[in-house]
Amino acid sequence: MIMPRGQQLLLPVNPLFIVVSLLAALALNMLPLGRQAWQPDLLMVLLAFWALNQPQRVGMGVAFLLGLCMDVDRSSLLGQHALAYALLVFAAGAMGRRLSWFSTPVQALHLLPLFAVVHGLQVLLRMVAGGIVPGPLVVVAPLIEALLWPLVSGLLLAPQRRPPDSDENRPL
Amino acid sequence: MNPNTLDHSAPSLFKRRPSRVSQLALYSALALFLMVADARFRITDPVRVAVATVLYPVQWVMLKPVQAVHDASRYLGSLDDAQAREQAARKELVAMAQRASLADELIQENDHLRELLQLRDRLTTPGTAAEVVYDSPDLYTRRVVIDRGQVDGIDQGSPVLDEKGVVGQVTRVYPLRAEVTLLIDRDQAIPVFNPRTGARSVAYGDPSPLRTGGIELRFMPSNADVQEGDLLTTSGVDGLYPPGLPVAKVVSVERRADSAFSRIYCEPVGRVQGVRHVVVLKPLDRATHPEAEGAAEPLRAGKGKEKDKAKDGKGKEASKDGKGKEASKDGKAGKTDAPATPAAPAAPAAPAAPASARKEPA
Repeated sequence: MIMPRGQQLLLPVNPLFIVVSLLAALALNMLPLGRQAWQPDLLMVLLAFWALNQPQRVGMGVAFLLGLCMDVDRSSLLGQHALAYALLVFAAGAMGRRLSWFSTPVQALHLLPLFAVVHGLQVLLRMVAGGIVPGPLVVVAPLIEALLWPLVSGLLLAPQRRPPDSDENRPL
Repeated sequence: MNPNTLDHSAPSLFKRRPSRVSQLALYSALALFLMVADARFRITDPVRVAVATVLYPVQWVMLKPVQAVHDASRYLGSLDDAQAREQAARKELVAMAQRASLADELIQENDHLRELLQLRDRLTTPGTAAEVVYDSPDLYTRRVVIDRGQVDGIDQGSPVLDEKGVVGQVTRVYPLRAEVTLLIDRDQAIPVFNPRTGARSVAYGDPSPLRTGGIELRFMPSNADVQEGDLLTTSGVDGLYPPGLPVAKVVSVERRADSAFSRIYCEPVGRVQGVRHVVVLKPLDRATHPEAEGAAEPLRAGKGKEKDKAKDGKGKEASKDGKGKEASKDGKAGKTDAPATPAAPAAPAAPAAPASARKEPA
């Protein structure tokens, strides 16, 4: 197995953890905060994370279904988030092999344009469908998502970073 | 699989997925199909309602912390603020009381006069009080979500008012929630009437990105009699909005040399932004003829159709105003006549006839 020098070997992921984390992100996205153009899409960050780390388990189908839920909740065009998330998972899967060689801040730098493109796609779709311009703050959302990446990545990998057999010196 | 994990399982022999590119193509096509079906044909509403029903408990739970923070911030708000608001409310109440007593008198008088003229009684449309739960987070439209839905008898297309005037229209109904498109949404149109001149027209949400929060009176000829400060009310020709509800005030009139139409910007009278308590009225045609075709075809109140209706209502109005009262007296008044007969609100009833003569050709 080839991996970067000095990197920890991770435990297998618990599939239930993936499901719970994605549902929690969906619920957090559904917080009714009103029209906030800068509001980061947490579900997008998590989907990108799982698509990078567990491409066998989180595919475009899951992303599509979660996107439909978002569409209904936000009462946006049905299929808008679904298409965006499917594209995100596809692109993240394509980047996966390369990105696993970098540290999380560098990964965030790689992902920033991806998040921006996915947000841009949504704006484009809604402009074509005849919506109003969402305002300049919409460019802040991908930035916040990229900033969230190291945090999310650290949190979600924590369960896999435990030692295989815990003892008194290493309880976690 | 991430190469850095201990995760290992033998690859399956038969379970092969389609390639990633073909998956992406499939899902993109599906999403595009859904978007077109949703935007153009509106045939995906059952899917939406089903998913919304499943998501409702989560929405309800997520609403609680937001409401708690909101309530807490209001609770901690300054005393001065509360006192000032109470003062304002009191002043308004006094003014309202004056008007209310006057209105009582006028209603009585109007009833007498209507009896004398043997006109049909004015409609009273039943209303449901509702609370705005949150602004719709969709950035590309202007909608709010209210806490009443199908269960409470909210119909699609119902007018929504606050204490000052019309705020919008119910455009999507879920079992326990409903979505109200505000007047300032770009796709929202409302037929209006200018009580000062008697002219009817249609107001649209302002689409320009720079001026949000306004509505625009479109297709008014540059010589039309519209002044700044004119109050626009609902005209009632659409068969949805009861006539005479305040809609907007004209803010600016720009007459342009390069166009046959002038640009008329208005500001909604109702508190469109930050509204909390609203009343949802039954659409007029369903209030009068609950079993008529309106009930058979619940999607009638769609935006496109509303415009058409406003237009043909206008045409019929012109022909009707002539024979006017006889038509409604002998009770043969057809479906479009029904809302149009009480259309002339109490006050502008008198100038209605000369108004139609002065009215611009539609």
